[in-house]
Amino acid sequence: MTAYDSNALAEHDARATSHVPAQIEFRNVTKMYGTLPAVKDLTLTVRRGEFLTILGPSGSGKTTALMLLAGFVAPTHGDILIAGNSVAAVPSYRRDQGIFFQSYALFPHLTVRRNLEFPLEMRGIKAAERAQRIDRMLERVHLEDFGGRMPSQLSGGQQQRVALARALIADPPFLLLDEPLGALDRNLREQMQIEMKSLHKEFGITTICVTHDQEEALTLSDRIVVMRAGRIEQTDTPEALYDRPATQFVANFLGEANVLENPGFKVEADATPPSGAVPMIRPERIFIAATAAPRRADADQRQFVTGVVEEMIYCGPLRKYHLRVGNNVLVVREHSASGKQIFRPGDEVRLDWLRSDVRFVAA
Amino acid sequence: MKMFFQKLGRMPTVLTMPAFAVLLVVFGMPIILLFLSSLNAPVFSLVNYQAFFGQPANIRVLYQTAEISAVATAICLVIGYPAAYLMVAASKRLRTTLIVLVIIPYLTSGLVRTYAWVVILGDRGLINNLLLDLGLISSPLPLIYSRIALYIGMVHIMLPLMILPLISVMMGIDRSLMAAGRSMGARPFDTFWRIFFPLSIPGVRSGCLLVFVICLGFYITPAALGGIGDAMLSTFIASQVQTSFNMARVSAAAFVLLGLAVVVLSIFGLDLSGTQGRTAQSTRNSWRSRPFDLMKRRVSELLTPLRAKRWKAQLYRAGSDSRWSNIVGTVFVVLVMFYLLLPELLVVIMSFSAGSFLEFPPPGLSLQWYRSFFGDPSWYDAAWISIKIGVVVAILSTIVGTLAAYGINRTLPRLRSFLTLVILTPITFPVIVVGIAAYLGLLKLGLLGSMTGIVLAHSIGAIGYVVVIVAATLANFDPRLEQAAKSMRAGPLQTFVRVTLPLIRPGIIGGAVFAFLSSFDEIVVTSLVGGLAIRTLPLKMWEGIRHQIDPTIAAVASLMILVPVFGLIVLYLSGLRPSPAGKRALPDVAA
Ligand SMILES: Nc1ncnc2c1ncn2[C@@H]1O[C@H](COP(=O)(O)OP(=O)(O)O)[C@@H](O)[C@H]1O
Ligand SMILES: [Mg+2]
Repeated sequence: MTAYDSNALAEHDARATSHVPAQIEFRNVTKMYGTLPAVKDLTLTVRRGEFLTILGPSGSGKTTALMLLAGFVAPTHGDILIAGNSVAAVPSYRRDQGIFFQSYALFPHLTVRRNLEFPLEMRGIKAAERAQRIDRMLERVHLEDFGGRMPSQLSGGQQQRVALARALIADPPFLLLDEPLGALDRNLREQMQIEMKSLHKEFGITTICVTHDQEEALTLSDRIVVMRAGRIEQTDTPEALYDRPATQFVANFLGEANVLENPGFKVEADATPPSGAVPMIRPERIFIAATAAPRRADADQRQFVTGVVEEMIYCGPLRKYHLRVGNNVLVVREHSASGKQIFRPGDEVRLDWLRSDVRFVAA
Repeated sequence: MKMFFQKLGRMPTVLTMPAFAVLLVVFGMPIILLFLSSLNAPVFSLVNYQAFFGQPANIRVLYQTAEISAVATAICLVIGYPAAYLMVAASKRLRTTLIVLVIIPYLTSGLVRTYAWVVILGDRGLINNLLLDLGLISSPLPLIYSRIALYIGMVHIMLPLMILPLISVMMGIDRSLMAAGRSMGARPFDTFWRIFFPLSIPGVRSGCLLVFVICLGFYITPAALGGIGDAMLSTFIASQVQTSFNMARVSAAAFVLLGLAVVVLSIFGLDLSGTQGRTAQSTRNSWRSRPFDLMKRRVSELLTPLRAKRWKAQLYRAGSDSRWSNIVGTVFVVLVMFYLLLPELLVVIMSFSAGSFLEFPPPGLSLQWYRSFFGDPSWYDAAWISIKIGVVVAILSTIVGTLAAYGINRTLPRLRSFLTLVILTPITFPVIVVGIAAYLGLLKLGLLGSMTGIVLAHSIGAIGYVVVIVAATLANFDPRLEQAAKSMRAGPLQTFVRVTLPLIRPGIIGGAVFAFLSSFDEIVVTSLVGGLAIRTLPLKMWEGIRHQIDPTIAAVASLMILVPVFGLIVLYLSGLRPSPAGKRALPDVAA
C-alpha cells in the first residue's frame, strides 16, 4: 500500500463531496511515548457509515487512537488506511475529515457563520455555494438566528451544535468525536445524544467517537470498542457487549457486575465454564424475596441462595441492595415501582436467578 | 514552499534561530569573551579581580551600590505594599484607573523622570526658587547631589515595579480565605497578618528582587541626583569605559556586579513561603533553577499590566470599613499617586513657561521652548534618529521575537524553559553589563557608532520583551484551534495566518509597543555603542541635563511623556484589555 498520490487524493476529494462514507482500518498500530505504549498493536476496521465508539477509562489510549487517525500523531508502527489508502505520509491538513473537539475549538475571533465557512473556504468552494450550505446547516442545527454571534456569546449547548455543524458542513467521509458530550449537564446531554444520533442517520457518515461514558457509548453506537491500557479488550454491539462481556474488566466497566470469584457456594450454570473464567451475573438479573415466599413456576431453571441485607440504597427509579452471600457482597437492583416488599439491613432474604443468566468472564 | 512550511511545522525550534543568531553575535559571544578576558585568558588568573578588590575605593563603591539598592528597595516596599493593598481593595473601576496611573510613569523614560527631580531639587530648581522668593532662605539649600535626593529619585522610578507585582499577586489571593478566617473569629488585623500577608509573600519577594537587581545597575539617576560620594558601580564602569577601555579591568568589574545580582537572586530567590519550595524536586536542582525561574518570573511580572485579563478577579471590599482607616487609606494612596505623577506634571507645566528659565509657577504661558525645540536641528534630528531607530527595532524584534516565542511555545517543555531563560538574559542582566557586551560585539562586527549597530544592540533586549509578551498570549491560546483548522484542510501557513495570528495579535502589538518604548528610552547601551556620531534624543537630553539646564529640555521631556501615553492608547485599541469578546470559547456549562 502506498501513500496518497495526487490522483488518489483528487479521487478521494471527489468522493468526499459526494457523501461517500469511508471505511477505516487500523493495522497493528502502535504509538509509543518514550518507552510506554499509549496504543499497542491496534487492529480495527470501521465499516462504512458505522457509528463506532471507543470506550475506556482515562489514560487507556482513546484520544491517542483518535489523534493517530486524524494525523496529529504519527504511529510508531503499523499503518492506517482510509478508504483503502494508507495515510501514514499524509499530513492532517491534506486529509478529508470532520473533527469535533472536546473543547469545541471554535475560532473565538470568528462569528458562527465564519466558523462554518472556514472548512468550505479551505476546500475552495465558491462564495455563493458556501452561503447556501451555511444557511442550510444553521437551519439543520436550529441556529438560524445565531450566525452573526461570536462563539463566546453562545451557551454551551449552542457552541456544541456549532462545532458539530462545522465538522459536518464540508461533507467529510468520516467524523471524529472526542468526548462529545463531556462538558454538558445531564438534560442537555440526553437531548444532544438524540440530536447526534439523528444527524448520523441523516448524513450516513462513518463516525468514530471516543468517550469514557458508558451510557453515551451504549446509546449512540452501532459497535463499541472497549480499550484498556492501550489495547482492545473487546469489540461488539452495545447489547452483546453488555450481555456477554468477555472479561471482568468489560463487565465492570459497562454497567455493574456481580463477579462471583470464590463465592463459597457452587454456581450452577447452563454453559460450561472455560478454564480460568469466573462466573458473573448482572444485578438486574437477580430476584430477591423473603425466605418463606413461594417459589415461582420456573424454579427448576433457577439457583437459590440465601443472603443478608447489608444496605438498601434508594435511587429514584431504582432500589439497590447490597447483600452478603457466602464470601461475596452482591448488588441487586429492583424497580422502585415494582410494588415488592422492601427489605431493611439485617433482613435475611432469598436470592435466585436463572442458570442461563450466569456468564463466564476472563479474569 | 509548501514543503518548507511542512518541515517548519515539525521542527518548531528552527523558528527561534533568527533570535538566537542576533543574541549570540551581539551579546552571547562577547559576554563569554569578556568573561574569559576578565580571567586573563589564556593564562587564567584572578589578577583582574584581585586588582578590583585590591583598591579600597572599589570596595567602597561596591558596598555603596549594594547599600543604596537595599535601602531604595526597602523604601519601595514600605510605600508600595500598603499602596498595592489599598489599590486591590478599591472598586474595580477605581482600581483600573489607579493601575493605569501607575503604569504611565512605569512606561515613561527613566531619564525624563530623573530630569523632573533635577528640576525640582536643583540649586535653581523649583523648591529652592520658591523658598528664595518667599524669603525663607537666602542661599539655595543643598538638596540635589545628596544621598537623599538619590533615594527620592530612585524610589520614584522603581515604585511602579514594586507595586505592579504586588498587585498581581494580591489580586490572585482568594478572598473567601479571609472571610473564612473572620468566620473563625480572627480579627481584621489577624486575618491580614496570618492569612493575607503570608499569601502575598511571593509578590513581596518578586517585587523586591525586581527592584533590587535593577537598582544595582542604576547609572543615570546616581549621576544626576547623587553626590560625589554616592557613586554606584555602573557609573564607575561607564566612566572606565569612557576614559580607558581596559577590557580586562572593565569586564572584571562588570562580572562583580553580575555576580552580586546572581547571588542576591539565588539567596532571596528561595521560596520562603514554602508552598512551592517543598515539591518533589531535589534541593540541588531547585538551587540551580530557582534564580532562573525568578528571572523569568521577574520579567513576566514586569509585564503584569499587559495581562489585564487576570485582573478580572472578584471584587473585594476592604475588611475594615471604619471611616477613619478609609480616610487614612485614601490620603495615603493620593500621596503615592502625587509622588509618582506630580514631578512629570510639573515638568509639563513648566515647559509652557514664558520665562527665560524654569520656574514655578511659570510667569506666563508660551510655546517658546517648543519653538526652540523644533527650531533647533540638533534637537529634532536627535528625535528623528530615535524614532527611526525605535521603529526599526520594533519591526525587527517583533518579527524575530514572535517567531521565537512561537517556536519556544511549540517545543519540548524541558527545552522551553532553557530557551526562554537564554533569550531573556539581556533583560535580566544589569544594563551596563549588557552595554559592555554589546560594545564588544559591535566592535568585532565593525558596527560601532552606526545606526545598524544601535538597532542590533537595542534589539537584543527588545526581542526579550516581545518573546515574554507574545509567549504570555500564546499560553492562553488553545493549540487545538490549530488542530481544528488543520482538520478542515488549512495548511500550516494558512493556519498561522487565519487562526493563530489574529488570536495572538494583541500580544504582538503589545510586544511591538514595548520594543519601541524600550529602544526609544534607551540611554546606557546607546551611550556605549553609539560613539560620538549618533545622538539619540535621550543622549542629547542627558548631555543637556549634565551641562546646563536649558528649558528646551522641559519641552522635550514633555513630548517624551506623551510617547508612553500614546503607547498605552495603542495597547488599549489593540484589545490588550479585559473584554468579554476576548474570552476563550470555553464550554459554558451553566448556560
Ligand atoms: N503527548 C504525550 N506524551 C507522552 N505521553 C502521552 C502523550 N499523550 C498521551 N500520553 C500517554 O498515553 C496514555 C494514553 O493517553 P490518552 O490517549 O490521552 O488516553 P485517554 O484519552 O484514553 O484518556 C496515557 O498514559 C498518557 O499519559
Ligand atoms: Mg482523552
